[in-house]
Amino acid sequence: MLNCKQASQLASRSMDEKLPLWKNMTLQMHLILCRSCTNFTRQLYFLRKASRRSKTNLDFQLTDEARQRIANALKDMQNG
Amino acid sequence: MEPRYVHPGRLRRAAATFFDKYHMIAGNNDLNIQTWLEEHGDYLFNYGLLRVKNTHVAEDLVQETLLAAISAKNTFSHQSTIRTWLIGILKHKLIDHFRRHGREVAVGDLIDQDEEDNLDNFFRANGRWIEKPEAFPNPESVFQQKEFWKIFQECLSGLKPKQAEVFLAKEIHGMSNEDVCKDFALSPTNAWVIMHRARLSLIKCLKINWID
Repeated sequence: MLNCKQASQLASRSMDEKLPLWKNMTLQMHLILCRSCTNFTRQLYFLRKASRRSKTNLDFQLTDEARQRIANALKDMQNG
Repeated sequence: MEPRYVHPGRLRRAAATFFDKYHMIAGNNDLNIQTWLEEHGDYLFNYGLLRVKNTHVAEDLVQETLLAAISAKNTFSHQSTIRTWLIGILKHKLIDHFRRHGREVAVGDLIDQDEEDNLDNFFRANGRWIEKPEAFPNPESVFQQKEFWKIFQECLSGLKPKQAEVFLAKEIHGMSNEDVCKDFALSPTNAWVIMHRARLSLIKCLKINWID
């Protein structure tokens, strides 16, 4: 049986790659019995959604003005 | 010894794959300055923003970094990707910035050592949670709130440098596992240890500052 530390590691890893069949089975077994780790798995999805969304959130991207300003500075330097 | 017969088609295919691969690598690292801002601008901006926490300063840092990169483009060795190289320059710009503002920052604060596999802050010796994870609220309603995004950014800033870099590249800028490993010179195991720690820390930070 996995403990929560091991299960959470597998849950996190499963966000990035497909787990080997056996590992995935032991994780699913643990999740059926453990509410904490099930909540953790949901938190992982929450975090992924937030991360994906943050890129389009304005504060996380260069504004068009800033981009233009930088582009001009780069052009000046290359010409000058 | 009999020479082993290799079908010419197979040789041709092998040669083609080799050249494809070669072109792919060379293509990614093309010193095409026009594309630097387009492709890496947001990433550099994000990275700087997490450190300086000021939009205008972060914008200036992107500009300084790219200008420095142009004048130093001959020093770029094809051993790393452009992005990694640009981040290296940005780190030095950050150190200069903090120095100008009277804050000594050791290079080590920005370029941290390898992560050890230590999860003692989260788990007891028997592998149980110290603080049991609880259900998070519905993401859609949370994402509507400006305050949440401020906290999210704060929490990212609070990560260890390596964790923040890898998390930013992978989860926010959508870099593949493979590229992350190559770019940050990590083994797959290292990469997911870092990601796991980053996730645990972020979730904890969000919980303390947002949920509680």
